[in-house]
Amino acid sequence: MTDGDILLSGRNLSKQFKGLRAVAGVDIDIRRGEIVGLIGPNGAGKSTMFNLLSGFLPPTTGQLFIAGANMTGATPERISQQGLVRTFQHGSYLPSMTVRDNVLIGSLGGMRNARVSRAEQNKGIDEAIALFGLSNHWNNVAKNLSHGLQRLLSMAIAFAARPSLICLDEPLTGLNQTEVTGTLQVYRRLKTDYGMSILLVEHNMRAVMNICDRIYVLHHGEIICTGTPDEVKNSDAVLKAYLGEAHGI
Amino acid sequence: MTEYKEWIGIVAIACALLAGVAFGGSYIGTLVVWIAIAAVMASSLRFVLLIGELNFASAAFFGIGAYCTGYIVNHADLPFVLTLALSGGLALVVSIVFGGITLKVKGPYFLLIGFAFTEALRIFYTRMEALGGNSGLVGIFPPAWLDAHYQYFTTVLCFLLILGLLGIERSHLGKIFIAIRDNENVVRSVGNRVFFTKVVCFAIASTVAGLAGSLHAFANNVISPLDFGFMLSIFALAYLKVGGEDSPLGPVMGAALLVCVASYAQSLGGNEHILYGLAIVLSVLFMPKGLAGLADLLRRKKESVA
Ligand SMILES: Nc1ncnc2c1ncn2[C@@H]1O[C@H](COP(=O)(O)OP(=O)(O)OP(=O)(O)O)[C@@H](O)[C@H]1O
Ligand SMILES: [Mg+2]
Repeated sequence: MTDGDILLSGRNLSKQFKGLRAVAGVDIDIRRGEIVGLIGPNGAGKSTMFNLLSGFLPPTTGQLFIAGANMTGATPERISQQGLVRTFQHGSYLPSMTVRDNVLIGSLGGMRNARVSRAEQNKGIDEAIALFGLSNHWNNVAKNLSHGLQRLLSMAIAFAARPSLICLDEPLTGLNQTEVTGTLQVYRRLKTDYGMSILLVEHNMRAVMNICDRIYVLHHGEIICTGTPDEVKNSDAVLKAYLGEAHGI
Repeated sequence: MTEYKEWIGIVAIACALLAGVAFGGSYIGTLVVWIAIAAVMASSLRFVLLIGELNFASAAFFGIGAYCTGYIVNHADLPFVLTLALSGGLALVVSIVFGGITLKVKGPYFLLIGFAFTEALRIFYTRMEALGGNSGLVGIFPPAWLDAHYQYFTTVLCFLLILGLLGIERSHLGKIFIAIRDNENVVRSVGNRVFFTKVVCFAIASTVAGLAGSLHAFANNVISPLDFGFMLSIFALAYLKVGGEDSPLGPVMGAALLVCVASYAQSLGGNEHILYGLAIVLSVLFMPKGLAGLADLLRRKKESVA
């Protein structure tokens, strides 16, 4: 593994909210084509990490590099053009618009600087809709979809921007078992067919252990463990952090 | 209502109004121009609502267009079309600066800044001798070659402007506007420039308002600071609410109804503002989606019966 494979790297990232240190000196690396999990108990700082990586919040300390460029303090728009697209934990879609228009917005963002014909663009949109199993719903208004379909739509919007790193904040919440299995299958395709990297925040431990190449465990804003799913499962620190919590590993 | 039907609806109303100009005599002709300009104002207000902002500065840009026209006519001998273009252009430039500063804030803050800007400009006009002070500017006539056709010209141009706004709304750019209203973080997260797009939306709407102001100045021949206070934005909002903001037809229908009502009230010597207030209360209570929404509802009822 050479440095050229590193797509994202965060160094000593911290975020201070008044008295609370939500993220405290985190180092994180994500390689091209890698599926990385970011787990931790409620309030560990996972969503805050997403905000730091995607430019929605400026870090209190630390530096961020994406695809070789220093993105510390860059706007979300800029970071997205650099290849990082994220979803939000709640309501990561456009409620009054149809599924197709939702995905169109993703595609418009991704192609902002590219000269792409209408036909090619439409193909990309249809591809995103089909990939996430939304073909039967393309003309439905997003706010009328089931919760599970709304989650799939969030991912389709992000995918349509064709990022090199897609960051998903609890994308499997509210999906039934079949939908979870199908979505994990899609993640494998994002990696193999599209060469995308994925950063996955998820409370569904079975899914995380199943899909991730590598996992970071966040607790009180600090990385307490990192490694392969097996290494993480057997870590004492992780067991202690999760002990007494409802999420069994 | 399908997109196609909205275009037809707008063209149909425009044709009806043109027929009014042709066969209705001078009173109707004046009324039609008033309706057409009011419809543009309401459509401009609705356009900025696409990004989720209530633009109370629309009256200010209407005034900028009107005063620019009045000043040019009184001080320079420029061709009519150039005067019109410069008036829209001034509104464009000012709106880019104003929007570039103020669109960082949202909701009630943006609304209040728009209100303050409108009132500040109105007071500025009263203090400026070059702009006629309190009494305003007079003698703003369309050129002789256009004079006989000015009502047609204004009506047609107003509806072209409204159709232009509708065309943009239906384009990809318009979809980004609506997406920003829905959830601007999602729009931003995939790489669209949210702030820039908001300024573009605001600038287009303001330019259109400036052009409407210029047309108004030529139609009215006289302008004064009182014509361009914040009440004008309230009127535009009334047209929009009564007509229905969901459909591009709404502002046109609302303007047609309320301008007729106001004209009738004036002819009785009454205070048309009270009627505006009444119309807003009634429409909010009995047709929350406005006239356009009501038409839609009736049509659906008929279909479900058939
Ligand atoms: N904008 C903010 N201002 C102040 N405190 C915040 C802010 N955002 C998050 N926090 C706090 O930071 C801590 C970490 O929150 P964060 O949302 O990152 O946790 P999380 O790991 O995503 O939790 P969950 O699993 O519940 O989504 C929490 O204590 C939260 O209350
Ligand atoms: Mg979270």
